[in-house]
Amino acid sequence: MIRSLRAVVTCHWSARRIQRYLDADPAALLTPGEVSRLESHLATCETCAQVANEHRTLHRALSRWPGRPAPDPVAVARLRGFVDQLVGEEQ
Amino acid sequence: MSHPADSRGVPEPRPDVDAQASARAFREHVEPQLEVLLRVAQSLTGNAADAEDLTQETLIRAYNAVGRFDGRHPRAWLLTILRHTHLNMHRRQRPETVADWESLRRTRPAFGASAPHSAEEEVIGLELHDHLERALAELDPRFRAVLWLVDVDDLSYAEAAAALGVPVGTVMSRLSRARERVRHHLGPNILTARRLP
Ligand SMILES: [Zn+2]
Repeated sequence: MIRSLRAVVTCHWSARRIQRYLDADPAALLTPGEVSRLESHLATCETCAQVANEHRTLHRALSRWPGRPAPDPVAVARLRGFVDQLVGEEQ
Repeated sequence: MSHPADSRGVPEPRPDVDAQASARAFREHVEPQLEVLLRVAQSLTGNAADAEDLTQETLIRAYNAVGRFDGRHPRAWLLTILRHTHLNMHRRQRPETVADWESLRRTRPAFGASAPHSAEEEVIGLELHDHLERALAELDPRFRAVLWLVDVDDLSYAEAAAALGVPVGTVMSRLSRARERVRHHLGPNILTARRLP
């Protein structure tokens, strides 16, 4: 009973860190200790591993939204020309 | 105004040395960010023509301010200028959001295409995409904005915070809730059976 209660607590702890773990954003990195605790939990807990996988799939699908990532190269070229105009006289 | 002209960002009379330093700083810090600026401008305005205007205006303001820029986090610095410029140009937009859902959906494919890696992936992608569209349509606009900037436009938390004018902590909590809502909306079947390679 105590053992399963501890497992629930760890799942809860993990759930609050899975997104930060996957994002690895410089503004909110997990500590090395948190990373290893989370990774060993994901290796043994199917429920949390499943949640992590769903987040991975979701992020991948969003990052491949049609049209991402390259903006219209013609517009980018026009903006480069504009930068040349802005800077040009000074160089 | 009690201040001399130099602190107002008017590009008028500057010593040549300053102008050359500004030009160099601009090339170094701003030029590499053109595509990101244009992409985020597209997300804010919801159409390609306005996005280009907004980016041009942002470049002018950034050029006038680059002498005072410390060189750290150029992307976040530029996105802050982009947001201010956008608020000046389009006052109708709700704060802390990007363009409304219909224009995001509609104008996105006008950008250059990103080809799928295989036919199978294309089918999987399209199917998941349908579900995603419905899930995103139902999100609170402030939640959707964060999800869009981080997951679609690939900004960091701090950059999304700069683009929206909210603290990083707000970005994180909205992002987390937005993703949980979309995840629950799609359900485990859609997200596991159609896992992308
Ligand atoms: Zn667990």
